[in-house]
Amino acid sequence: MRKKEMKLVITFHTTADAMAMEKRCKTEKMEGRLIPVPRILSAGCGMAWACPPLDSEQLTRWMQERHLRYESIQECLV
Amino acid sequence: MNLTSSKKMLWASGAMLGGIAALLAYFGNPKNMAICVACFIRDTAGAMKFHQAEAVQYFRPEIVGFVAGAFLIALITKEYRSSAGSSPMIRFLLGVLMMIGSLVFLGCPLRMVIRMAAGDLNAYIALIGFVLGVATGSLALKKGFSLGRAYETKKSGGWVLPVILVGLLLLSVTTTLMASSESGPGSMRAPILLSLAGGLLFGAIAQKSRACFAGSVRDILLLKNFDLISVIGGFFVVMLIYNIATGGFHFSFSGQPVAHAQHIWNLLGMYVVGFAAVLAGGCPLRQLVLAGQGSSDSAITFLGMFVGAAVCHNFGLAAAAANAETNAPGGPAAAGKAAVLLCIVILLAIGFGIRKREDRQ
Repeated sequence: MRKKEMKLVITFHTTADAMAMEKRCKTEKMEGRLIPVPRILSAGCGMAWACPPLDSEQLTRWMQERHLRYESIQECLV
Repeated sequence: MNLTSSKKMLWASGAMLGGIAALLAYFGNPKNMAICVACFIRDTAGAMKFHQAEAVQYFRPEIVGFVAGAFLIALITKEYRSSAGSSPMIRFLLGVLMMIGSLVFLGCPLRMVIRMAAGDLNAYIALIGFVLGVATGSLALKKGFSLGRAYETKKSGGWVLPVILVGLLLLSVTTTLMASSESGPGSMRAPILLSLAGGLLFGAIAQKSRACFAGSVRDILLLKNFDLISVIGGFFVVMLIYNIATGGFHFSFSGQPVAHAQHIWNLLGMYVVGFAAVLAGGCPLRQLVLAGQGSSDSAITFLGMFVGAAVCHNFGLAAAAANAETNAPGGPAAAGKAAVLLCIVILLAIGFGIRKREDRQ
């Protein structure tokens, strides 16, 4: 079984926002991938973006500059 | 107990769901219906006289149990969150469409898996349609489909549906207001307390494991993630063992209870369900669970399914089951076939017409 690692997990209000994040990150070659929202963060069944732990303020700024909307940014084991 | 901590726990939670379904079938629910969400919403709509199909009228305690079980476990584990405001009328419409597709196939995704576990080859044809429907919905998501975000609302908003359902259940057992089938699937029922307990437990486990038939296929297609399908795998294995052990396993197209072998309509019926479920954010079971944990949007989808069930029987859209004695092949009538085609057109318009750009305006 794959070992869990600490990641920065970004959750979104809608699936479309998660898809937009994936598209933008792929375009700009940002490391990360879409995952089901970790159970510890939400009882919903949406998608989240998981990437290596970064400076979350810097990431927030990067997302705001690109009009990417999000719900929360948290570190968690995935 | 964390039901999502590992794949094994997800398989185990699916097996528990299967165990409950098997128990209810053993104690009187229709054998290869067991705990079908669409069929039971249809029976409940019939009991409340929203339609007059005499064979399918019974206020199913399981439906109350699904919602109340998810509601209680969400309250206990502090996951209850009252929310609303994500295109409610489109969700209502998606609920209606999901029910039309389900009643043309004769079952929701949950019953599709139960029928697969009983060897019903028609359900395997329907599975192809379901996967294609989920794939089309996933494509719409990739193209930017969104119903918009939900917003937090007053806590009491999420209490309304569970409280109303419990109230209606009390009415159904203490008065003669509700209709009750004397023959047909509606007359087949497990003892009421067992049905309610089974429904409560089923709803609670489904809430903790996030069981969703459409979500599990969507996650495979979009995320290459096999977590949610593990729940369905556990459910299938237990139902398969139950059917083999009780002599209910028959590997065939014909002779299956409450089913028909009109392949194209089985396929298209479940195509509609898979497509609509992805756009609505969950299969019929998941909608009840989300409604229980506080989503008024999912409660609206449930109302859409309820009204859809009545529409199907009042306007002759529901398929007829094949009958071996009269050699009737069953399947949907012309109205049902037209309705399925119209559902697909509406879903394409919703899925590829409502884009994220509109959400931003």
